[in-house]
Amino acid sequence: MTETQALQPREKRELQGETTRPGPVFRPEVDILERQDGYVIYADLPGVDDKSIDVRLDQGALTLDAQLATLPESGWNPLHAEYRIGSYHREFRISEGIDSDGVSAKMHNGVLELHLPKSAAHRPRAIPVQAG
Amino acid sequence: MTQFSLYRPWAAASWGGPLDQLRQEMDAVLNRYDGGSGPSSSWRGVFPAVNLYETADAYVLMAELPGIESDDIHVSLERSTVTIEGERKIDYANLEGASLHRRERQVGRFRRAFELPALIDGEKVEAVHQNGVLLLRLPKSPEDQPRQITVQAN
Repeated sequence: MTETQALQPREKRELQGETTRPGPVFRPEVDILERQDGYVIYADLPGVDDKSIDVRLDQGALTLDAQLATLPESGWNPLHAEYRIGSYHREFRISEGIDSDGVSAKMHNGVLELHLPKSAAHRPRAIPVQAG
Repeated sequence: MTQFSLYRPWAAASWGGPLDQLRQEMDAVLNRYDGGSGPSSSWRGVFPAVNLYETADAYVLMAELPGIESDDIHVSLERSTVTIEGERKIDYANLEGASLHRRERQVGRFRRAFELPALIDGEKVEAVHQNGVLLLRLPKSPEDQPRQITVQAN
């Protein structure tokens, strides 16, 4: 029997005083991985689809902005609310040179998967050692 | 090993048997049907957080379940009690040679039961998982829908 932990409930983190948009803006949770050839970022963006997200990379600053594509309908009378909805925003600084032409992103099940390949100058290289 | 898969992980010390847990969970949910006040800023309930709406003929339950495949979400209905359970899995083993710089996204199992204020027509329940949001449309059973009674003059 394998042991699996229970998911712990966490309140969404709201950004304060950093936006001019109406409505709450939340900071999505992310995982960031580094590989030899680049970085991979996963961000939880429930309610967002591929058309309602904007990803920008500008001089080492990576910005995610996303709006909800799935919204409650106007005729629904709220009975009970445990979470709030709103847009998402998060910024990262990317330290190593990124090949901006090679950046790719996709949305699946409300999760953004972003691939940021390192530019050739920043990839590790193996140096062949010759016998003398 | 202990399996932390049931309802109130932060209240493990007060756990009774499974039926007690189920009842406590339902009581807690029902106590929060308080006329639609906004979400409490101190909400620390059970995963997943849900929002419940009512229309003339149905209840609509929404839960944010990003990154969970539809096959890993199980919804069941018994009379007026709906249960959502499943597991969120994240596997980075296929990313060879990767080092994890930041890990905020959680994994694990979840299970929640809700007793709705009316009987549900189980044949007509719809469950859609789109963009990481689960949406359950739970039509009220015909005998529980309000009916207009005509008053006749004598």
